[in-house]
Amino acid sequence: MAELTLQPEAAVPEVQPGKKVTNPVSRVMRYVLVRILTLFATVIVGVYLTILIANMGGYVDEIQRAQIREEAQQQALNNPSFKSLSQEEKVKRIEATVALREKRVGLDQPFAIRSFRFLKNALTLNLGWTQNMTSDSGSKQVRNIMLERLPATLLLFATSNILLFFSSIYVALALSRRYGGWMDKMIVSLAPTGSAPGWFYGIFLIVLFAAVLRILPYGGMVSAPPPENSFDYFVSLLQHMVLPVVAITLSTIFLNIYNWRTFFLIYSSEDYVDMAKAKGLNDRVLERRYILRPTLPNIISTFALTLISLWQGAPILESVFNWPGLGGTIVQAIGLYETPVIVGTTVVFAYLLALTVFLLDFVYALVDPRVKVGSGS
Amino acid sequence: MNTSAQLLHIENLTLHFRTQAGAVQAVDGVNFDLDHHKAVVILGESGCGKTSLSKAILRLLPRNVEKYSGEVYLQGADVMAYDDEQFRKNVRWAEMSLVPQAAMNSLNPVIKVGEQVAEPAMVHLGIKKDEAFGLAKRMFQHVGVPDDFLDRYPFELSGGMRQRVALAMALVTSPSLILLDEPTSALDLLTQANIMNVLKRIKHELGTSFILITHDIATSSELADEVAIMYAGQIVETGHAKDFFPAPLHPYSQLLMASVPRLRSDSDPMFITGQPPSLIDLPTGCRFAARCPFRMEKCSEEPPVIQKDNSKVKCWLYS
Amino acid sequence: MARFSRSLRDISQYPSAIGGALIILFLLGVSLYTIITIPYAEAILLWRGGQDVWYQNPTTAQPTWVNAFRKEKLPETFIINSDDLQKNIREIEGGREINITMPFDYSFDSFPQELTLYFTAEFLEKQPYVSVTLQTPDDRTIRIADFAVDHTQTFIFSQDTRLTRRLNGLIPREGIFLNPESDSKTPIKGQYILNLKVLTFEPNANVQAEFVMYGQVAGWAGTDHQRRDLGVALLWGTPIALSFGLLAALGTTVTTMVIAAIGVWYAGWLDSLIQRVTEVNLVLPFLSILIMVGAFYSRSIWVILGVTILLGIFGGSIITYRSVFLQVKESPYIEAARAYGAGNMRIILVYLIPRIIPLLIPQLVTLIPTYVFLEASLAVLGLGDPVLPTWGKVITDAISNGALYQGHYYWILEPAFLLMLTGLAFAMLGFVLDRIFNPRLRGV
Repeated sequence: MAELTLQPEAAVPEVQPGKKVTNPVSRVMRYVLVRILTLFATVIVGVYLTILIANMGGYVDEIQRAQIREEAQQQALNNPSFKSLSQEEKVKRIEATVALREKRVGLDQPFAIRSFRFLKNALTLNLGWTQNMTSDSGSKQVRNIMLERLPATLLLFATSNILLFFSSIYVALALSRRYGGWMDKMIVSLAPTGSAPGWFYGIFLIVLFAAVLRILPYGGMVSAPPPENSFDYFVSLLQHMVLPVVAITLSTIFLNIYNWRTFFLIYSSEDYVDMAKAKGLNDRVLERRYILRPTLPNIISTFALTLISLWQGAPILESVFNWPGLGGTIVQAIGLYETPVIVGTTVVFAYLLALTVFLLDFVYALVDPRVKVGSGS
Repeated sequence: MNTSAQLLHIENLTLHFRTQAGAVQAVDGVNFDLDHHKAVVILGESGCGKTSLSKAILRLLPRNVEKYSGEVYLQGADVMAYDDEQFRKNVRWAEMSLVPQAAMNSLNPVIKVGEQVAEPAMVHLGIKKDEAFGLAKRMFQHVGVPDDFLDRYPFELSGGMRQRVALAMALVTSPSLILLDEPTSALDLLTQANIMNVLKRIKHELGTSFILITHDIATSSELADEVAIMYAGQIVETGHAKDFFPAPLHPYSQLLMASVPRLRSDSDPMFITGQPPSLIDLPTGCRFAARCPFRMEKCSEEPPVIQKDNSKVKCWLYS
Repeated sequence: MARFSRSLRDISQYPSAIGGALIILFLLGVSLYTIITIPYAEAILLWRGGQDVWYQNPTTAQPTWVNAFRKEKLPETFIINSDDLQKNIREIEGGREINITMPFDYSFDSFPQELTLYFTAEFLEKQPYVSVTLQTPDDRTIRIADFAVDHTQTFIFSQDTRLTRRLNGLIPREGIFLNPESDSKTPIKGQYILNLKVLTFEPNANVQAEFVMYGQVAGWAGTDHQRRDLGVALLWGTPIALSFGLLAALGTTVTTMVIAAIGVWYAGWLDSLIQRVTEVNLVLPFLSILIMVGAFYSRSIWVILGVTILLGIFGGSIITYRSVFLQVKESPYIEAARAYGAGNMRIILVYLIPRIIPLLIPQLVTLIPTYVFLEASLAVLGLGDPVLPTWGKVITDAISNGALYQGHYYWILEPAFLLMLTGLAFAMLGFVLDRIFNPRLRGV
């Protein structure tokens, strides 16, 4: 067979001639470093802007000063030993108290300087104490308040997101196979319901199930007082979770299914899917290896970003349902001018976002062999 | 005439697509036969329905099918009567496989090529993964791809490599028939020649039959035992290669052959005036009449298929 | 332009698009009608005018049309003003005796919220005196009250203890409709006549009386806790919601597109800057900032609109536009344009931007409901515009006044329904537009 043995072609991957082949490890390290720095810079700028806005150009300072002054004056009025003092003395004492308090809170320094110190503290999650808010355990530390409320939010949104995610992908995959069927048309016509936010559906649900039918609670996380035994607690928790989770799910599920179905339809018209069909592979293998596998990076990043966007709706949803989570805390904090809490939540959120974006890069590289860490942007 | 001596017998195969502009009659009553161990080349220009024909034979239908009918007998069995699951199990890759055009897009970008080649073997031959990989390796050897490529991803291969991998994949289940849709049109001349040699060798060693769909007359003439000419969704001429190439019968075939430049010839190649008809808006009667230099009155009627010696021609000139 | 008419034809093939478009036209019609028939100043007066404007409405009354679905009819609200009636005037020593007869039909199955008489009297020193009696359909006469009338005097039937006693302890707003001898608990239907005998003791003294029967239903939309006619808010909410949504969506998409185009075209540091700004914007908590602006700075709808647009410009869509522009930038006809010496701005305006308009339109339309709901969201948080009557404001009033617990469902459901209608209409239209204009969705 000598004359028919072919020269196998030199397998040359797409490398431009003349390009140095760098050590992959150092390349990845360099990329990671640059990425971390960039993301961190973004977080810093974002948090600083939030601090600036949270102060509203000195407005919040004014409020704080007014509060301090009023408290000092009130104290002076109530203090019996003050009554005997002359007017001048009284004013001096009050001023001294005010100055002391202001210094303790930091109002004696100009905002510019304070803002940077605050920034540094915020970034290291050293968030200080609140003025008016307390956590359920009595602590005034911002960190404790936030940590206390965070699990409730996570519970609600993580559950909703997971529910949403898996059900919409499953249904969308099934739909993409049965293009044009009645269920397909139904989803397409229901998709616009995604334009309304979760709290909106929440209101309707509360009217129907809590007010009219009276089978589910109006709000809160567990019934008050919370049941002693853990099984009942769990049941009560589930009962209270039903309406908010359904509200969140309703507001996005049809839109999600529609988007995934369209996505899968587009990707299932790829040539390699046709080829797999031609090879006589069955539907399950087709779905798993030829539709899901190549689109996995996309799916994963959507999962992460959906969670983040759901979280955006937390403040109002938690307010409507009286859910004791971080979102409701923000609303409270804003009403009480509690800058540390507002900034604290923002920082945590910013870090989470930056972390997610950073990790996604690695996830892409893991899942898609065409992507090398550091090749794309 | 469906004796099992014939590998493939196709009668009146029709495939129409539905589009916003109307029904595209891509494959319109195609008839042809293929014996074991033979290769037929289906020649025609772009847009004549060749790729749709391969899809029709393999039942790879898109979503907008308007009409799909006809009779296809594979090894004497009426495969059109199979339901989708039977067809998948018994025909696809088990008896017939496909080497598509532009193999790059036909390979799953996130799965190694070795796995992709082994896949049909595991599904259709029911063998375990190790054995399937061994088979894949042997196929790689047949087509001339080095072993270590089993672990590579499609984007790491050059165009010619990918085409060979596609060929290996088509061979792995030892089907009786391989359809090749423009296997070399995306490749450079040297690689073309290489691939053609591979095909010839495989035909000789393994006895596989081929249906080669192409517009490249020059290279196809090396492999073909039989020739079929396709024009505007119909087969207008069939015959043995040794009869056809020196003396094509149908006016279209003649003009087609005259357009191929010859190595040792002084005359310029000819061209065919006009354009092929739109597959949506087909003329009545002979579809080539508008461009035919031998056009007659009678051509406004659809010509029948006429047997002339060992060839068949769809033309009034031979009635 | 042929392309435009072809697109119109494509759109009309989808029933959901036609439905959406019709609803939008309806809403636009309502907006136009509202702005013309209830001019802005009047609307603000009606919405914020205070008790002087609202006193004639009952509190949290359901809309009148609910009676069409009820077997037992709820009483409606009506007003009888003595100025509109013929009065029987008799001269007496020093003044006049004015007899005012106010007949009314009562054919409802339950009792009103309240009955009140509002008097305004003109006199110098001597207060006029009024005797109020009620004639029932079963020919009884109930003595309601006798009292002296000040310049302004209000008589609330159910607050008069003597009347209550006279009615054997029944609260007057129910008692006057019941026969004390029967055990029936349903009001007696028929014609009632309220008689006011006014005695003035000065020659030029005059008394005007206004009788308000506060029913359980009022208006086409009902009323809220402050007796405001919800119809005003529902009607005026329409143009406000539509304009906010449209302006925000338009402002954001157009600006994003222009910035993306400029970034891609000029490339270099400008492009990187835009990308960095976008990344920072991604980190900023959009809603929290809006809430902060609303709480600390100003709740005026214009400020909110401005901040929304500002934060929305550098959103995710800038990346999509950028990739489309990048594709276009590499096209040969751009090269040709530069070859013939077209200036940068011209290339951007004439070549880049028109390419993206088909993608922009569905984006724009689908974005409108997001902003409409955003405005409502802020209102629900209590940060809505303090002056304007918006749908969100009605919802938030309803929630904070316990509408859900007290069964005043109409209060929440009416604005919510309108919100839903608006959102759905634009979303449906936007979806169809996306299917038509987005090349990747052809045939899907």
